[in-house]
Parts: sequence; C-alpha cells; structure tokens
Amino acid sequence: MTAPERRLKSTSGFYKNYVKKFYEDAHRAKIEKQPVAWVSSTFPVETLQAMDIVPIWPENYASVCAARQVSVELCERAEREGFSRDLCSYSRCVLGSMFGYEKELPEGGLPKPDFLVATTAACDTHTKWFQVASRLFKVPLFILDTPYNIGGGDSSHLDPAHIEYYESQLEELFDFLEKQTGTMLDKYRLSQILALSDWTSRLWTEIQDLRKNVPSPMDARDAFSAVFFMLCIPGSQMAVDFYTQLRDELRQRVKDDVGVVENERYRLVWDNLPLWYNLKIFEYLNSLGAVVVAEVFSHIWTGNLDPSKPFESLARKYLPNLANSTVQRRIDIIHNLIQDFHANGVILPTNWGCRMMSIGETIVREAVRQRLGVPSLIIDVDSSDWRVAPDVQVKERFETFLETLRRPSET
Amino acid sequence: MVWGRLGDTNLADAYMPSNSCSFARSCFNAALRGDYDYLDGFVENNSCDNRGKTYDMWTNYSKVPNIYLINTPHINTEKAHQFFYQEVVKFKEWLEHKFNKQISDDSLKNAIKVYNENRSLLKKIYDLKMKPPVISGVEFLEIALSSLIMPKSEHNELLNRFLREVENRSDLPKEGVRLLVAGSVMDNTELVRLIESVGASVVADDWCTGSRYFWNLVDSDGDPLRAIARRYLDKVPSSFMYQREERFKHVVELAKQFEVEGAIMFVLKYCDTHMFDAPLLRDELKAMGLPVLYLEWEHSMSGFAGLKTRIEAFVEMVGGVK
Repeated sequence: MTAPERRLKSTSGFYKNYVKKFYEDAHRAKIEKQPVAWVSSTFPVETLQAMDIVPIWPENYASVCAARQVSVELCERAEREGFSRDLCSYSRCVLGSMFGYEKELPEGGLPKPDFLVATTAACDTHTKWFQVASRLFKVPLFILDTPYNIGGGDSSHLDPAHIEYYESQLEELFDFLEKQTGTMLDKYRLSQILALSDWTSRLWTEIQDLRKNVPSPMDARDAFSAVFFMLCIPGSQMAVDFYTQLRDELRQRVKDDVGVVENERYRLVWDNLPLWYNLKIFEYLNSLGAVVVAEVFSHIWTGNLDPSKPFESLARKYLPNLANSTVQRRIDIIHNLIQDFHANGVILPTNWGCRMMSIGETIVREAVRQRLGVPSLIIDVDSSDWRVAPDVQVKERFETFLETLRRPSET
Repeated sequence: MVWGRLGDTNLADAYMPSNSCSFARSCFNAALRGDYDYLDGFVENNSCDNRGKTYDMWTNYSKVPNIYLINTPHINTEKAHQFFYQEVVKFKEWLEHKFNKQISDDSLKNAIKVYNENRSLLKKIYDLKMKPPVISGVEFLEIALSSLIMPKSEHNELLNRFLREVENRSDLPKEGVRLLVAGSVMDNTELVRLIESVGASVVADDWCTGSRYFWNLVDSDGDPLRAIARRYLDKVPSSFMYQREERFKHVVELAKQFEVEGAIMFVLKYCDTHMFDAPLLRDELKAMGLPVLYLEWEHSMSGFAGLKTRIEAFVEMVGGVK
C-alpha cells in the first residue's frame, strides 16, 4: 500500500465524485429525453458534446465492471450467446451487460443509446461490436472511416488526402447527428467545446510533464483513473477544473520533492492497458521501488484544437492515434517517453482479445533495446478478463524483470 | 496470393503473439522460412487489424524488398470510393516507379476482360454443385485456389477445357448431405476433404477464397482504374466491411439456391470480424430452419481430431433428419 501521506488528494474519491456521477447524470439525461449516444474509442467525441448529446463510452464502462470484479461474469454471459472467448473482453463485458444479468449491474448498466457512433481508427473490435449493439438495440450506427496512418507520423506529419477524407466525413457526421437529434449544429457552440477540449488537453500535458520529475509525483494508478476526462468528456468545464486542481497539487509535490515512493529505484513506461480488475498491481510495483512514470495510454489522447479550423484540428488530433498507425508511431512515442521521463524499463502487456495492441510488441522491444539500451517485458495478460493470467504469475514476472533492471552497484 | 502452410508456426511464434490471426501467422511463418524470398514485392492492406499489423511484421522481418500497403476504406459511400480511387492511383504509380513499367488504360482494360472471364467461368463451375452435383466441394476449392496463384489467361484456358470435359463425366461425386460452409479464408482443402469424407457434400461457401472471390465483375465500361477500385468496395463484402448485411444476404441466398440442408461455420482463430458476425449469421441461418455447427479452428490444425468428431456427429445428425 502507498503510504497515506503519499497519496494524491485530488484523485481521492475520483470514482465516486466523477465516474459514478457521470453515469448517474447520463441516466438522468436519458429520462429527461436528452439524446444519448454510445461512442467508440478514438472517435472525435467533441462533435457530440457540441450537439449536447450525452456521450457514453462503453469501453470505460467495461473498465468499471472490471474494477468492480464483475467483468468475467459478464464476459461469460456474452460467451453463452455465442461470442467467442477470444474476443476483446471490453466488448464481451458490455455485450454481456446488454443480454441481461441476474445481479444488479454497476451503475445500473449503461443507458440505452438513441444511436451509436464508431470509428475504424481504434480497431476492428469497436466497429464490429457497435454493429452488434446497433442490431440488438435497433438503433442506427454511424461509421467514421479513418484512413490508416501508414506513415506513422504525428499530427503535423499526416497525408493531406487523409485529412481531406476525414473532414468530409465529419460533414456527413453532423448531417447524421442533426437528423438524429432534430437540432442544427451551432458553430459557436462547437468552437466553445473545442476550446475547452484544447484547454483540457494542455492541462493534461502539463500534468504528464510534471511526472518527469525525479522522484515522480504521480503513478499509473492515479493516471489511469484521471485520464477518464481526456477520453470521455474532454470538452467540459469539469475536466478543466479537475485537471487544474490535480496539476497544482503535483506542482506542490514537485516543489516539496515528494514522490510516489520514498526510494524510487525503477522508473517504468507502461504500454497498452492496465489490468483494470487489479489496479493494486501498481502499488505492488511501488512496494518494490518501481514507479510507472508514463503510460502510453496517457500520451495518445492529447491534441491541439484550433476553433477556427474545427474539422482539420479534429482530423489532426485523432488520425495519428497510435491505434490507427503503423508500429513506427508506437516506437516513436515509447522512445520519447523513455528519454523524457528518464525511464529504465518498459512493460509491454498484451491484451488477449486485442490484436491491434498485441501484435508488434517484439518490434517495439527490439527497437527500444537497440536505440536506447532499455529492456522491455512482454507479458500476456488481459485488461478485464482475469482468467487469462493469474495474479501470482504476473507478480513473479514483474519481480524477475525488475531484477534485470538493477544497477550493478545494487547487486 | 500469399498463403501459409498447415502445421506449426514455430518461427513466427517468436514474434507474433498466440492470440494473433493464425492464418496471418502461418503466412508470416512462411516468409521467415524463406518461402517468399523470391518475391520482388508484397502488397497488403489494412482491411483488418491483423493485416495492418502484418505490414509491420513483414516490413521489419521479411526479406521481401518492396512492401506496400493500400489504404482501404471499410465503407462504400461515394466519399469512400473517391478516397479509395486515389489510393489505387497511388498504388499504380508506385508499381510503375518501382518496376519501371507503364500501365496503360488498354492493358488495364485487357486485364479486366481476362479477370472477368475468369470470374464468370468460376461461377459457371460453381453452379455445377447445384442439385445433383457434378463436382465435389474439394474439386471446386482446388480450382478456385489455383486461380489465385497462376496467370489468369492460362487458368481461363484450363477452366474452358474443364467445362467441356466435365459434361461427359462418368465418375460423378457421390452426393451426401448438402452443406454450406461459412467463414473467412480457406487456403487449403483439408477441412472440406474431411467433411466430404464423412458423408457430406460442400455445395456452397462464403469464403474470400471461394464464392466471394469471383461473385462480382468489374464494370467493363468507362475508366478502367475507377472500375477496378469500385468493385473492391462494392463486391459481396468480407466481414471487415461495414455493409455486413449484404454478406448475410449472400449467404442466405446461397443456402436457398444450392438447397443446403445444414451449415458449418468455420471461424478462423483469431479473426475478430468473423467472431463478431458469427452469432448473428448463425441466427439468420437457424431462422431458415437450418441446423448450424459453429467451429473455431486454428490454421495450424492443432485440435484437428476434435473438429473431426464434431463434424462427423453433425453430418450424421443432419443426415438422420433427412
């Protein structure tokens, strides 16, 4: 356990204060007939916010179910309907919750969507899973077809044809949203949301930058909670207020030289998803003197948005997401994180139901070792289905890996 | 067409996780073994996650010197068509540049003619499995697969000859329980051979190496490159395309047209797009009153014995109902 005096105040009660509240508000909005949409990962959620549509992220709900230890039962429910155990556990979990569950669902389940929006940018799973949901709920689905970022470039190195295609679909998206909601897009409202999202993004970047400090003032457990706003409701005042508070607390910690652990021996970069059902694993790492100072997941949702160029900015924010890019982008991101955050090891967890993140890890491992001499651990786990890897085994792998990171003077 | 080989994928397993598409792993294994060292180029697309990642794997680990990825939409709206056409133009230019050759409109038109002829001939042969079947499922798959790996003009000659000769065939295949098989890719005849060895006839399929490969023709009027590009997005789709219902419709129509008595769904591990579609397609087939067997298979054929037992029991059950 992290010593009480080292725990962050801002993130204490985060789930209850923000996530739980988010779902309560969504259920209320549904009752009050405000339009509710399910939204896939890597979708430009700001477009929904600009239309006052409540965006629901089923992916986030799956992580909630995992944290509440019910994800496996829900996965099994979907498996009984014929959805393979090899599918993404996020999708199985949410499908399971839709098929009916004998016990009470966390947060009363997800509000039924009026329509769904998904993009190909994240992975096959999201579009296919949403297709299933669309059929079961008998509500329409809009697919935003995101061209694959073959060059692996960042937001300023994208193919103009890709941006043009993306922008043209945003026009179609707004036509769809206007038709679904019966209201017209207010361009002023869109620019407000983009400005807020941009602000959220800058604050999140400041928060991450503070973690470069040695010792690091914030660990992965807090980051994986706090990233909620970046994903689900970036263009909101609540996100800005929360991140301002968190940033200020971290600034003070850095000033006071307070780290996550007293004796920081290993600084790690964490790729892919956490084990949502066992976020305590990060505390276990802490107990061994290791701190995850950067998660790749915390570094792929930021993007500058210029309200005067709304569509182009959204394209530049979402197109280069590493989920939509060749492995080069992932290597570049991890390479920079290791250097900027003074990390000495990388954890590359696979995710059983996820081809997109699991394939290519050896390329990353080799590139990082060759370029920077930093070792990586590839470990087979799943974000929400704990049947894939027993905790004991995971812990053992971490311990062995940390042994290899020891400086010669410590052995 | 690049394909794998049945059996273990020891070489690939060192680089690709065990939850990756077993077909992609098998192909990659073949590349590592050197089977494809003779290639001057390899063209891939991002139709599914496994294939997008295959581009990374081959680029990093294979010896093939020129590797290209065609950016492929997953929808077929007009905007998607416009985008894809540009992508196909880019690919054509890449080919011209890399191999120092010009691709003229005339040569494209000629290729369309030859390929369309091949598709039409394959369709004609496919129809020979209607009641009573003149050819077996294994025979058809062999013919279809050979089309993927040889010059189409030569294949056309062989197909024409086959069509002439098959009319007078004396050794007709024995008609068993008429089955439809659905799934993603089938690059070998082992499974069909197995099914037909236990008293069934595979008379219809939904494989990208089967009916979906040749079902639609390229429009032979107008700009040839546009026509080629258009067909890819509008054809009977694979499960990675958004217009999934059209694939379901295709399968249902095949089931009716070919008077099948049951269906086997072969879901290749670990093909996400098919795994998501499978329960829904199963329900559609069941709604037609067809018994359906759902099977997951590893391309390596590990677990083959288990598959055999289940297929035997299924064929016996469907045959018994008959």
